[in-house]
Amino acid sequence: MEIFIKYSLAVIGTLIVAIFVGLWLPGIERKFVHARIQQRIGPPISSPGFMAPLKFFFKETIIPNSPLPRLYNALPLIGLLSIFSILLLLMPELYFLDELATVTAIVGILKIEEVIYVFMGSLSRSIMSLSMPFPDIVKGAKHPDVQRSFLEDLSAMRAFRLIAFGSFPIYIAIFVPVSMAGSIFLSDIVSYQQTQGPILFTLAGVLGAIVFFIGYMILLNEYPFAILKTKADVIEGPYMEYASKYRSYIYITRGLLMFTLGALFSALFLGLPPDILSWGILVNIAVALIFPIFMAIFSAFAPIFTFKQFYPVVVGFSLLGVLSLVIALF
Amino acid sequence: MSLKSYSRARAVHAMLVYTGGCNGCDIEIVNAVFSPKFDAEQYKIFLTWNPREADVLIVTGPVTKHNEKPLKEIYDAIPEPKAVIAVGACALMGGVYKNIHGDIPSEEIAGPVDQVIPVDAKVPGCAVRPEDLLAGAVAALPLLLDAK
Amino acid sequence: MDENDKPKRQEVIETEVTMGTVHSAAIEPYRVRLFVEDEIVRDAEITVGLNHRGIERIMEGLPVEKANSLTEKICGICSNSHIWNSVLVAEKGLGIEIPERASYIRIIMGELERLHSHFLYLAHGNEVLGHETFAMRLFYIRETVMELLRMIGGNRVQYGVSIIGGVRPRCELDLMRIQKISEGMDLIEQKITEFADRFVSDPMIMSRITGVGVLTKKDALRLAATGPTLRSTGVDLDLRRDMEIYDPFEFDVITQEDGDVKSNLLMRVLEIPESIKIIRQALKNLPSGPITDRSWEMQDTGIIKSYIEVPRGKLLHSYALEEGRVRGSIVRTPSITNIGAMQQACIGNHISDAQLAIVQCDPCFTCTDRAIKITQIQI
Repeated sequence: MEIFIKYSLAVIGTLIVAIFVGLWLPGIERKFVHARIQQRIGPPISSPGFMAPLKFFFKETIIPNSPLPRLYNALPLIGLLSIFSILLLLMPELYFLDELATVTAIVGILKIEEVIYVFMGSLSRSIMSLSMPFPDIVKGAKHPDVQRSFLEDLSAMRAFRLIAFGSFPIYIAIFVPVSMAGSIFLSDIVSYQQTQGPILFTLAGVLGAIVFFIGYMILLNEYPFAILKTKADVIEGPYMEYASKYRSYIYITRGLLMFTLGALFSALFLGLPPDILSWGILVNIAVALIFPIFMAIFSAFAPIFTFKQFYPVVVGFSLLGVLSLVIALF
Repeated sequence: MSLKSYSRARAVHAMLVYTGGCNGCDIEIVNAVFSPKFDAEQYKIFLTWNPREADVLIVTGPVTKHNEKPLKEIYDAIPEPKAVIAVGACALMGGVYKNIHGDIPSEEIAGPVDQVIPVDAKVPGCAVRPEDLLAGAVAALPLLLDAK
Repeated sequence: MDENDKPKRQEVIETEVTMGTVHSAAIEPYRVRLFVEDEIVRDAEITVGLNHRGIERIMEGLPVEKANSLTEKICGICSNSHIWNSVLVAEKGLGIEIPERASYIRIIMGELERLHSHFLYLAHGNEVLGHETFAMRLFYIRETVMELLRMIGGNRVQYGVSIIGGVRPRCELDLMRIQKISEGMDLIEQKITEFADRFVSDPMIMSRITGVGVLTKKDALRLAATGPTLRSTGVDLDLRRDMEIYDPFEFDVITQEDGDVKSNLLMRVLEIPESIKIIRQALKNLPSGPITDRSWEMQDTGIIKSYIEVPRGKLLHSYALEEGRVRGSIVRTPSITNIGAMQQACIGNHISDAQLAIVQCDPCFTCTDRAIKITQIQI
């Protein structure tokens, strides 16, 4: 019984730390990296990540323009829960859940997060494109009888393509530690690193970490990989119709995903899973801070990629990931 | 200050709708947001293009007849609480386009803005200066903070 | 459109994606319908008309001075060009010889305006590219030009410099102003050189803009493109060479070959030093004397036309004077003739590049919404 209470306290404590750190990450990215590079003062560090979701909680709840408004509003919660469950599975207290505490389970749950974008995109019917009242099908207009689609349908199609190929790098990188440790169980990977030293300090680990970073950026839809929500065509893509508290779930999900992927990295490549009871949690927080900072530096100097640039980058880094897998096996 | 007002003051999302003026005010507003010299983000004002995310609607231009309906729809799409800032001489009273021909009614202009949607703060100027715009956004803030 | 120039694969158009009238990439209100097949644009239609305020109709019967300052409100980016050309119409009709110093000051203002317009273009282009850092950098450099414009004209956007017979007395360039302008020019030249080096050597940007939004020379001529959009396809046409008041100045007309976004952006980057060159020459050789000639008398004229080269291309103003009032005003702005080029440039690109292809033609939809008559051009 005592162990049960201790474990549940540890799990809850880790979750709270994760959410708290995750909420500050967008502000750090914006204030300390983007604003510094752009030579301006920038927003207060709490504003973009912490105060914005809090503000949206106090806004009026509206019914979104959607064929299935309730399902549409439920999707961010599903996303949040799936990220939560990844974080839970990473914690050493839950390694007794044999089959669930494996790398494949985590990959599967990450897929949920990606599939949600397809649903979000196809269920959103924003005012900003087709429903804007403007007489554009008038006499003399081109192709008056063509099928018309919303901007969000476009981002749903892109989300579908991202599922197909965009997340290759991160999945390949996740399996580098698996092939080194020879097991898909997280507990085995962690204990392998406690005896053999962190995987990051091997050649395969370094290559895998680079590939993991690119995959991290693609999964987070950060510039330059933000084809789902680029301002140049789809404005905000799948998120267009979220308002009030559902929008703040999106903000929280993003912050938590940043932390969770950082924790995944430190569990797989450094052998330090997120656990509030050990000092290793500081390494988790450090990784969760360093990754967004690198990401922000990269995104501040890059234009948005279209598929013409996206495919070669993904193919190149996937090949690098395969190379590191091969090195890891031998 | 309650947590509600505090969080509202620390993150203001502003949306820009441009309803057919001369582009001057419009570029000055973009300047206020993008130019590192003015940098609206340091005053916690973030530019957004999605009405569902916005708190403050910044309207420029005299509202031509074609723009009347889109402006209303965008205003309706913004969840409460919201504030509207009319920016520039055209948005305030129709500008030269409505007034230069005296009492003859204009066939093109449906505005000014306060005849189409309720306006909370007015920023005069032709074209408005970026500093004035930031001051106007600050003037509309108490409305947002005190709302339910 | 000719029969053989229509998009060949029209039957496979699957869906239409509509952007506008409020959109993040296009700040101005207009609507673009993109007909796409697998995210590749097969045809495009730009619908304008949201900005139509009927300025030509309002101008009818106004006193000419009032009408001139009304033309300034056509566009907030090239306001000086409009009032300059409108004043030129009256001066041509009434036979007024303006003092030489006044025409030098007008040229300085015109070139400063070209600078700020080109910086705005580059910044907007980078914003649509998704490169926020460069966009902010360019807005930062542009601020120098805006300060100079504010110093000379008294306002950041609508500065109303030209009046019939010269320039406004408040726009006199004294020694302090001349010094400030030349300091500003040095600063801008240094900054734009640094920016250009950085921009051209960035592989990510170059791969994003090379070969995108291509407008061929034939299409550009057929669709009556004008200004930098036409020059970027290799046609050497700049009205500044034909304008008499530009005769004392030495400058090169920049042309590019490809007609894609890259050559359009580089066009602007290379035109900025040319404008700086003209301003420096004007400041160096600024003649002394009065800046306004008030001795003219009003008389009735027939319809007078005047063409000048403005940042976006060829601008026409035309009206007749009757008892000091404006009759039959016509304004033909460069952006309206570039609409065909914008639609053509969209075709064949990825949908993310469609807005970029529109932006590369430097659209200004407030200028665009004029009453026009379209005729077929034979080449």
